[in-house]
Amino acid sequence: MLSDSEVAELLSFLTPSTRPDVKGQATEYILGLSGNRDGCRFLHSKPDLIAALFALTSDPSIAIVKDCYHIFINLSADETLHQVLVKDVKVVPVLFKNLLDPEYLFSDQICTILSNLTRHEKTCKILFKVLQEDVGMAQLVQIFCTEGYNKNAKLHYLGPLLSNLTQLPEARNYLMDKDRCVVQRLLPFTQYQSSVVRRGGVIGTLRNCCFDHAHHKWLLSDAVDILPFLLLPLAGPEELTEEENEGLPVDLQYLPEDKKREEDPDIRKMLLETLLLLTATKAGRQMLKEKNVYPIMREFHRWEKDAHVTAACEKLVQVLIGDEPEEGMENLMEVEIPQDVEEKLKEADAKEQEELEKEEEKRKQAEEEAEKKKKSDSEQTDREQESGLIK
Amino acid sequence: MASTVHSDSDDGMDAFMDKFKTQRYKNAFSENDWEEEFNKIPMFMKNAPEEIDPQKYPELACLQSIIHDEDRPPEEQAKSLKDEGNAYFKEKNYQKAVVAYTAGLKKKCADQDLNAVLLTNRAASHFYLGNMRSALNDAAAAKKLKPDHLKALIRGAQCCIELRHFSEAIQWCEDGLKVHPTDKKLRELRAAADKHKRAAERDARKAKAKEKKLHGEKEALLNAIKDRGIKLVQPARAQRSGSDSEDEDERSPAAIAELSLDGLSSQEVTGAQVFVDEQGSLQWPVLFLYPEHQQSDFISAFCENSCFTDHLGVMFEELPPWDADRKYLPQNLQLYFEDEEKETLYRVDPEMSLLKILQHKRYFVKAGTPSFIVLVKGSSYCKQFLSGRKIHGL
Repeated sequence: MLSDSEVAELLSFLTPSTRPDVKGQATEYILGLSGNRDGCRFLHSKPDLIAALFALTSDPSIAIVKDCYHIFINLSADETLHQVLVKDVKVVPVLFKNLLDPEYLFSDQICTILSNLTRHEKTCKILFKVLQEDVGMAQLVQIFCTEGYNKNAKLHYLGPLLSNLTQLPEARNYLMDKDRCVVQRLLPFTQYQSSVVRRGGVIGTLRNCCFDHAHHKWLLSDAVDILPFLLLPLAGPEELTEEENEGLPVDLQYLPEDKKREEDPDIRKMLLETLLLLTATKAGRQMLKEKNVYPIMREFHRWEKDAHVTAACEKLVQVLIGDEPEEGMENLMEVEIPQDVEEKLKEADAKEQEELEKEEEKRKQAEEEAEKKKKSDSEQTDREQESGLIK
Repeated sequence: MASTVHSDSDDGMDAFMDKFKTQRYKNAFSENDWEEEFNKIPMFMKNAPEEIDPQKYPELACLQSIIHDEDRPPEEQAKSLKDEGNAYFKEKNYQKAVVAYTAGLKKKCADQDLNAVLLTNRAASHFYLGNMRSALNDAAAAKKLKPDHLKALIRGAQCCIELRHFSEAIQWCEDGLKVHPTDKKLRELRAAADKHKRAAERDARKAKAKEKKLHGEKEALLNAIKDRGIKLVQPARAQRSGSDSEDEDERSPAAIAELSLDGLSSQEVTGAQVFVDEQGSLQWPVLFLYPEHQQSDFISAFCENSCFTDHLGVMFEELPPWDADRKYLPQNLQLYFEDEEKETLYRVDPEMSLLKILQHKRYFVKAGTPSFIVLVKGSSYCKQFLSGRKIHGL
């Protein structure tokens, strides 16, 4: 890597008063460094460089600022750098401040950085504290939910940011504050077509929220009414009987013929996991049974091809059509599992995962083969046609 | 009123006081109507009179003029008018409340808080009068003056809900919650508006699905008729060249709609219409005309596979009352249909099925109801009817 004197020289180039072309070359070079692990490790030991770069995010040249932000995106992706970024360079308050500015040009990059910084619990906690002091989670949700808040940025990465934040119980409690209207504003985004990042972020957030079974009753009540928003992406255009239709939540009745299901299998899986979480309590199970979730799952199961997602669907269906657990075990989240049983279950889980992987592989291969065959078939007929013509 | 010990005073006080024991004072209340009189004194009034006639209620008119004195600063005047409006509001006299608040706003005083309250209260009055749009306008104006005025925000949302503008209602609630994040009423209104909105969306989807189904059924029916080669004709008013029924390639939705509206709507008040039964056969409403007696019979569902003799046998099992000559026996009847365009009568073999007749190249079903003329073989009326007309056998 660079020697100490080289580093000092580099540092001197990273001042606002430096000639733009020299500055630009310096930032470009560091951008290259930040793109690989060794480079990051090197930068980790040079907080002065990082601080200087951060200061350059206020540089008048847009190209320079852009490079700087990209550097920070790369740095924030590496967990070993989090301490430096947050504690030494103190990037977070400035980032939040700029995020609030509706005219700021680099808000999308900020969202990505914040999202990266919140992936792991340790830094997430620090970030959340700053968030509450400077911005407030309510404002963050507000910005996220306001279409066109920033003309220059889509702010989709606030979705994963929220999702990461909700690994903390404090964040979940704030989001699910009964006296406010916060989580409700996220619900429509479960079907936000234009961005899989935003959609996935919101659904991840909702899934995390559902880990707190104390909130289930409220989440399923009219005050929030989370269920239709989880089911809609999984529901399809298939016609259900009049009877089945009338029992469904209002939003799922009489869906048009062109209704499409969620395209991303990981998101589909998350939705099913969220629904499964909601079946933990007896009240939750009852509600899901009453609201005719089963027919939706039945049609979904017919349609789904991915082995992992199908497995998640089957788990849910089992609970929906199965008998109620015996007394004392109604809340599935509170049931005590003895150590040896837990170990066996873990083993079984691991095995199941392996099998599913194999199944998926097989299926994908089969699909590819079918594609190849189709291609070669059509080539064949083309040749036949040609030969026919010649004759 | 007894004289005190200090009766040194020589000012005639005692004498003055003694007078009261004997004399009545002017304008005293009488025993009979003192309650009425009491009610006329402004201080003791239970309700204000609708109109204040200075002759009957001089004191009240006086007070009024003090209250509405134009010399007072506009803020004070506006405030008094607000109070007046509030008093009327409490009595549920919403019309008068509106008048008072309007007068208060006219003062254009500089106190924007007061103006916002006047607007909000007027909005409430309009709300209870059922004037939702006026109420909404007032709430919006109040919101503009004071974006954090809670009552205006709530009222605005309520008006939108009454007007069934649910998305707008939700927007009002969200604007409100920005400033009052924990307000229960705003939260509840938002949830209610959201619920209504989604129900309305479902209703729209349901209606669309129903319409589609109906349309599909209509199309299937028209296809069934077309496939059999049966020609439909619209009643006289359609003057299109090459009537739609002959243009068998016209498959656009508009044409189908036209056909289904005009070609099949029966002119009969019974509202019977041709339909496809469970076995896939068409069942037609059919008219039998008896020109001799100006009578007719209506069969609401004549299966295309049945023949005429089947029906005639049943219809004339007992001879109808108008058949004075007792001659309309099933075996004596002759059936004809008329080709209007060529002014020709075609004789129908009653042993044939309805379908076969309808498929005749000169048969046009008019107004969705096939009709047939019934005459008695060899009768004088029959001879008369048929003379001078072109007739074809089948």
